[in-house]
Amino acid sequence: MYCSIIPPYILKRVAAQDAPQFSAAARAAKEALLHVKSVQAARAQPSPGLPPGVRHVKAGPPQRTVYDAQEAEILPGNVVRKEGEPATGDPAADEAYDGLGHTHRLYADVFGRNSIDAQGLPLDATVHFGKLYDNAFWDGSQMVFGDGDGEIFQRFTLSLSVIGHELAHGVTQHSAGLAYRNQAGAINESLSDVFGALVEQFVAQQTAAEASWLIGEGLFTSQVEGSALRSMKAPGTAYDDDVLGKDPQPDSMDSYVRTSADNGGVHINSGIPNRAFYLVASSLGGYAWDSPGRIWYDALTSGSLKADTTFRAFAKVTLASAEELFGAASKEHDAVKLAWETVKVKL
Amino acid sequence: MKITVQRSGGIAALTREWSVKAVTPADKSRWEPLIAACPWDAIPGRDEDGGGNQPDRFMYSIRAGQHRATLPERAVTGPWRILVDNTRAAAEAARNKDGRR
Ligand SMILES: [Zn+2]
Repeated sequence: MYCSIIPPYILKRVAAQDAPQFSAAARAAKEALLHVKSVQAARAQPSPGLPPGVRHVKAGPPQRTVYDAQEAEILPGNVVRKEGEPATGDPAADEAYDGLGHTHRLYADVFGRNSIDAQGLPLDATVHFGKLYDNAFWDGSQMVFGDGDGEIFQRFTLSLSVIGHELAHGVTQHSAGLAYRNQAGAINESLSDVFGALVEQFVAQQTAAEASWLIGEGLFTSQVEGSALRSMKAPGTAYDDDVLGKDPQPDSMDSYVRTSADNGGVHINSGIPNRAFYLVASSLGGYAWDSPGRIWYDALTSGSLKADTTFRAFAKVTLASAEELFGAASKEHDAVKLAWETVKVKL
Repeated sequence: MKITVQRSGGIAALTREWSVKAVTPADKSRWEPLIAACPWDAIPGRDEDGGGNQPDRFMYSIRAGQHRATLPERAVTGPWRILVDNTRAAAEAARNKDGRR
């Protein structure tokens, strides 16, 4: 068996001396190229958020469509399941369908939001994207899920928090024009982890104390030493594997990571705001989608987040939301303030 | 000449790297056209889509000899895709042969 994630100690060893294996790979590449569709990043179109506490919007039922890319890198692929149709028997397609429904229900029931754009946007997802594709992403208008390589990753629809994470990128895109880079990008990432975790907790009806606070639990194969992609409760502890290395997430500003990779470490430094949310939820107790979720959702939809929002600016917006929703002398306000102090984000 | 492809980002944010060395004249004559086909001087700017990469997509850093390029996944098309896929395939084939995980 092989694995191509190279840890530093292997990097220091050698590179391949062998002649390139052309024909098959080149042919596969060319075939794939014929299918590659370049996608325009949909512009962030901030839509007005609901006034705090107001949930008068009647959210309609979801309108789901699941597509199968059949291992090509083509979007959206062939329709395999539309709203109301029975299960297909393909686990990836059915997990995507169910996950979209669960996510839609969290936004509708808890936040009074009618789908991703608050206007009933149909929910589209493509499964079996690419060959052994080790990723899931939001392309600006739909979710896309790969099958994983089977050695490190299993299929990405296995994790409901990952499905919720991708849909949350859509919600963020329609609510705030956060740039996908540096601190604003890490806030964007963190919001996806927060609402992805909330979908999972909402479906399982778990309290903050009962929840795992793991993102992407169960995605790794049994060959990997790790439980998930990230831990919101204890950033930096999700995995520690001889091939993958150790989870690089910091849990406070003291260990903030400066890097040019990953759009300035958007999936790395997201550990800081992730832990802040966990701390709020943990300190308030009960269901995290209640007060903590409402505060974060209000901050996201407040119209106060700019493209280059920093952690500090975001922290201030959450504190303002807590004050607006619950009052300046409330335990919610205090919990938010203490959480940001704990992760060393100055207010 | 060494060709290295580094892929960062993705929802898992695991960085992977694939390298090959073109040493023999036969290697070089195979790799050089692939490298020459890439538009190294016409790399799309980071801000062309107004905000960097699409959420959770990969970023690629590609090095070949003196050439350098950093591209979002969706710009890795045409000759870039061919170079990336060949580098990955060759590196994995070599590693597989060595029996490493
Ligand atoms: Zn993401």
